[in-house]
Amino acid sequence: MIEALAHAHTGMFDRVAELFEVIDSLPENMSDEEIAGLLDFLPPDSAQALGAMFVPRVREGSIAFMRMLAIWLEDAKSAVGQGKKTILVPFCFPPELVHAFDNAFPITSEVLSTLGVVALEGQGERYYDMALGLGLPDHICSSNSIEVGSMLGSNDFQPQAIISAAVGSCDINSKTHEFVARYHDIPLFVLEKPVDNTERGLEQYRKNYCSLIAGLEEFLDEELTEDKLRPVLEKHNRCTELYMELWELHKAVPHPVPALFALYTYGCRFAMWGTDPGVEMMETIVDVSKRRLKSGDYPADREVARCLLTYTSFYFDLAGMFNWMDERGYAYMGDGLNMLFPQPVDTTDMDTMIDGMCVEGRNMPMTRQMGAPSMAMGWSDDVITAVKELSADCAIYPGHHACKQTWSAAAILRDELMKRTGVPLLVLQGDSWLKRTTPISVIQEQIDEFIKNVVVPKSSGRKKVRHRS
Amino acid sequence: MMMDEVTRLSEMVENDFVREWKDEGKKVVGYACVPTPVEIIDAAGLLPYRIRALGNPKTDIADAHLARFNCSFCRSCLQLGLDGTYDFLDGIIETNGCDHLRGMFENWEYTKPSPFFHYVKVPHQTTKDAMDYFEEEIRLFRSAIEEGFGVEITDSGLREAIERQEAIRGRLRTIYEMRRGDRPAFSGAEALSLFLLASAVPPEKFIELVDAAIEERKDGGVTGYRARLMLAGAASDELELIREIEDVGGLIVTDALCYGARAFWSPMDTAGDPVKAMAQIYLGDLLCPRMYDDYPRRRDFVLDAVEKANVDGVMVMHNKFCDVHGVDNVQLRLDLEKRDIPVLQLEKEYGSSADIGRIRTRVQAFLERIGGK
Repeated sequence: MIEALAHAHTGMFDRVAELFEVIDSLPENMSDEEIAGLLDFLPPDSAQALGAMFVPRVREGSIAFMRMLAIWLEDAKSAVGQGKKTILVPFCFPPELVHAFDNAFPITSEVLSTLGVVALEGQGERYYDMALGLGLPDHICSSNSIEVGSMLGSNDFQPQAIISAAVGSCDINSKTHEFVARYHDIPLFVLEKPVDNTERGLEQYRKNYCSLIAGLEEFLDEELTEDKLRPVLEKHNRCTELYMELWELHKAVPHPVPALFALYTYGCRFAMWGTDPGVEMMETIVDVSKRRLKSGDYPADREVARCLLTYTSFYFDLAGMFNWMDERGYAYMGDGLNMLFPQPVDTTDMDTMIDGMCVEGRNMPMTRQMGAPSMAMGWSDDVITAVKELSADCAIYPGHHACKQTWSAAAILRDELMKRTGVPLLVLQGDSWLKRTTPISVIQEQIDEFIKNVVVPKSSGRKKVRHRS
Repeated sequence: MMMDEVTRLSEMVENDFVREWKDEGKKVVGYACVPTPVEIIDAAGLLPYRIRALGNPKTDIADAHLARFNCSFCRSCLQLGLDGTYDFLDGIIETNGCDHLRGMFENWEYTKPSPFFHYVKVPHQTTKDAMDYFEEEIRLFRSAIEEGFGVEITDSGLREAIERQEAIRGRLRTIYEMRRGDRPAFSGAEALSLFLLASAVPPEKFIELVDAAIEERKDGGVTGYRARLMLAGAASDELELIREIEDVGGLIVTDALCYGARAFWSPMDTAGDPVKAMAQIYLGDLLCPRMYDDYPRRRDFVLDAVEKANVDGVMVMHNKFCDVHGVDNVQLRLDLEKRDIPVLQLEKEYGSSADIGRIRTRVQAFLERIGGK
């Protein structure tokens, strides 16, 4: 197994799946010594990431998250053998629809890339380089290119179709998936959200969504019935309730939700929302956060600043980003991918369920903000809502170089935030999935300086007494 | 010489005819993207003006709004919007061409609001639902122009505008046909000058200029080139860049550019329902990598042009950070290579004189590779 993990030609999916098989077989309650022994056995990059996930305050949630993903990967692997078709979906597409079909299983591109970065030796770099080797430009998004690089450049797991749901909200995501579909000659189902939130725009989205369902039914040779959709959406509703509970917990001071739980929440949303393992994972992280609230446990001496990250985070160093913020007292109130705003779906009949699914589809992160008539205002409104509800002291834009649409709206976001809330925005530059662009030490230094020189003085009122003569 | 005059006029943002138009108290409406139904603007008695940057390399003001990760063509246009160059515009029409272009419009409007602003929302597919939606967008656009400028757009006025704009497109098609022979009537730079003028002067003025240019060059002209090239890819209105490529012997004889053939290749039905006719050419026939599940049409357009213009090699270019062309060009390169058509894939910075030397070297190497003497 270790040999397979290290082979350059082995596809990312296979390597990740093998690692998670091992994780899934671990005992429930491991001692610190046992964990230290396990980490010694793993290659350094994997050990570093898993080490971050096994720190005591997040361990229970991490194990629940990893078990959920182990099931997801195992189901994807066994899907073809069971006569199912695996469908590659983007993170901004609610996977419940695909889960509702008997003959299909969803694989989420960005979740797979993130797992590769988090869990594998060498992270995702070799696969990213495979994508670039084909001539794809270096400004494509690593969240897609790592995973599709593996698909294009190695003998990896291949999906039987692709759903492209970023059309209208992210060019590079949409173009990359279109390219893969053509390269492998597999069907591409396009779900466009019009940049139009009027009744006409919403109706258009519904038509597009119904066309997608019809296309999938034909492709899978299976009708999507009420009986299939309802149980999935009932579990969706349970996940949504738990999300709402977690959102309330985020409001507490000091912040009781470990930073990594933000990642686990949307990891679940993008891959296993509406499934039993997804519900179990969400229950676990809510339960852990509640217990932390009750006990008053906090990983630093005090809460120094409450920080809302406005878009993707940095995933190439979980310890250096998520845990570091916890331990510095920089409360991680969630990031842009947590801005899901899920709604319970009315499961009365097929029509109400499709209406509800459309609402969910339109509200997925990025689709909701960047697919709004104005990217900058759609995004600003959501960030400002979250800043106010969660009493954030500052906002941090972890600028991922490939997110051209957010980059083009960041200046307006900064102005709107300041104008409407007085909350300052720190703009960082890097690559969320590749450590070779900006090292975590530089990111930490910039966050430290920002909090020390801008956020803390502002919160303590020192900046307010400065007058211009 | 008429082409000298065309070239002079095409190198100005606010050209003599725009100034005359404004002096007469008439209004100008700017747009940037091909799927903007300019006939609506024209029918309202307004001058439709396609926003351009003409290779402007300065982006210092724009960089405070867009990031360095945004395409330099959009930053360059935004710069001209914010530094006052485009103050002659009385209105701006946004389209969701790409993420960068949306950002350009949003920052422009946020920072320096235009007296009139309207957003034409263009679907990314050509399904029946998408076509219906776009037809309604055209109707809404018409109403917005009527309301915003206090004018009535009559059906007969719209038909006349369609005929005027179709006459422009027809002349541009003629220009491109005249470049197909051994002695092309126009160089690539001259063709781009004519194209730029077509969307920057009143229609009747353009027809006068272009007819004179056609007459002047009816016996052909350009000789002594090393190879016949086709240019495909991202938005580019850089006359200087084309001149540099042609200077080393690569004559551009056709293109698949949005500041080029993709904007006028499809003839409009001037007899049928005006809204349907506009929806068809501006969405149904739109050749742009922003469209999804539509790549074979874009590829076939390039292959057809290669054959008709007797092309020796294709240059596919994109501006740094342009996602839609950056990815589409890879697919196009693979497909051209599969057919043994020589292809040069180039990434460049828009308007960067620092990039010119590198591009010249790449083109020279390409010409040697394809056997240009």
